[in-house]
Amino acid sequence: MTSPGLILREIAHRKLNYLLSVVAIVTAAALFVAFFTTGEASKRETIRLVRDIGFNLRIVPKETDMDQFWITGMSEHTMPEECVTRMASHENLLYNHLVARLERPVAWRGRTVILTGTAEEVAPLGRRKPPMIFSVEPGTVRVGFQLARGLGISVGDRIDILDTTFTVAGCRPEEGSDEDVRIYADLHDAQRLLGMEGRINEIKALECLCLGSEEDRLAALRQQLEEVLPEAKVIKIQAIAKARQNLRLMVERVVGVAMPFVLVVCAAWVGVLAMLNVRQRRQEIGILRALGYGSGKIASLFLGKAVVAGLIGAAAGFALGTWLALEFGPGVFKLTAQKIQPMYDLLGWLLVAAPAFAALASFIPAMVAVTQDPAVALREE
Amino acid sequence: MVRCEQIIRRFRPRGGEVNALQEVDLQVRQSEFLAIRGPSGSGKTTLLLTIGGMLRPTSGRVTVAGRDVYAMSERDRARFRADNIGFVFQMFHLVPYLSVVENVRLAAGAAAKRADHSQAIELLERLGLSERRHHTPAELSSGESQRAAIARALLNRPRVILADEPTGNLDPDNAAEVFQALASFHHEGGTVIVATHGTLADKHADRIIHLRKGRIDESTPNAQLTPAP
Repeated sequence: MTSPGLILREIAHRKLNYLLSVVAIVTAAALFVAFFTTGEASKRETIRLVRDIGFNLRIVPKETDMDQFWITGMSEHTMPEECVTRMASHENLLYNHLVARLERPVAWRGRTVILTGTAEEVAPLGRRKPPMIFSVEPGTVRVGFQLARGLGISVGDRIDILDTTFTVAGCRPEEGSDEDVRIYADLHDAQRLLGMEGRINEIKALECLCLGSEEDRLAALRQQLEEVLPEAKVIKIQAIAKARQNLRLMVERVVGVAMPFVLVVCAAWVGVLAMLNVRQRRQEIGILRALGYGSGKIASLFLGKAVVAGLIGAAAGFALGTWLALEFGPGVFKLTAQKIQPMYDLLGWLLVAAPAFAALASFIPAMVAVTQDPAVALREE
Repeated sequence: MVRCEQIIRRFRPRGGEVNALQEVDLQVRQSEFLAIRGPSGSGKTTLLLTIGGMLRPTSGRVTVAGRDVYAMSERDRARFRADNIGFVFQMFHLVPYLSVVENVRLAAGAAAKRADHSQAIELLERLGLSERRHHTPAELSSGESQRAAIARALLNRPRVILADEPTGNLDPDNAAEVFQALASFHHEGGTVIVATHGTLADKHADRIIHLRKGRIDESTPNAQLTPAP
């Protein structure tokens, strides 16, 4: 009988032992597939979540007095509106989600509000992504929470600002910041109201997480801005940047720690079962030796069995892992649920890796089988 | 056919040393039926396994069919064993997940000259097991299991059969059948060495040696034990 024949017959004979080995490999493969499939979703989700923390880069005119900037919260200087398109057209830009703004405090209905003109978000070359913030249609405004509540403004109201009538398209939720005293208008409307056509005083942006250490990142951002927009300078909001970076690293670390742990546990599981199988088959190994079977043939019986378990485990594990990811992933990763899809290329990798993994886990038991003294086994009653 | 020269085999279990074989010199002619008698622990099994290339002696030399068994590589020794030596054990050692005929054919897997299926069937017929050839070992009686083990040992037409207490688990009728099968092999020119502590082999043996504490105590041609009437 050939080795594959012996392997298959032995599998059929000791089903439970084999089933438990296959379960171990299915578990490892399924968790790997589930982790990997949802891991990609998790990365996307994390990107979305950290993105929603807000912009962490503020690009302002170079001559901005920073003392004044921090007191008033905005730059009193301006730069041309075309700065934003100039930035966006630069290749390999380290800045994402560019939003040009013009903001100025204005007196309105007996109080000071921040009139904020905001343009549509601009994506750098080759990096079109869903926008981070709302846009404001020309002729409409969005009113901050504090203003809307204090002045009894609601959606659909028509309000006059600096002699121009606007329709209230929305009232902002409470932000707990100066956002609550802003009136958002279309950038060009705001420029016209303020008599500053073609000018902006800030570009808000999000840094690209494609850089190295924290020090390198800011230096690189500054260096690139110097090349692209020499009339501006960048301010990085460290708290947001760090939160964003830490959250992403944490997710990567969780996957990085959990997966090796699962692999080690499952390898030990397969190894222990293979060792039990070797002990169970001591006399069979002994008689094969007596019949003249060599070490290679005996090792192949154990390693071949492991390879078969690996193949079954890979296919079943892929199916189970994908099902787990598709079934439970959307509940966990709500923002990017639609993007959780089966990763069929993983199956090919698994069909190679799982048999290798099972054979590796069974290697020591196979060597024990090869080196065991057949005379001892055959003398046992 | 078999020559053992000054064979010493020591085991070192925890806390001591056991001299399983002590300076054993033995020669077995071709076509001889040799019975090795001795009480449990006298070294019978150790001697058989040593002759069969399964247990390297601590010192001494074992020659089978003119080949120094332990001078060969492990691979060559395995092949030599498959082609020249058949083993029969007290516990049968049939592979539990194979049918009787598959167990018999297992012997062909390692031999240079592959015996075919019809030879296995023929052997099973000779040993009265043709009806049981598709049964598994669990479905056989002890006698049937031992006959299946003998068929397996005979498949590659070995030059020597080494049988270790082959009737230890059998009733007298089955034991007689087993010895009859070994005697048939002997009559066809094969060499048989049987380790036993009973007397059933006496009827077939050309010679009987007694092992005591790892030494050959006595070697007696069978004619002296059972003189012709």
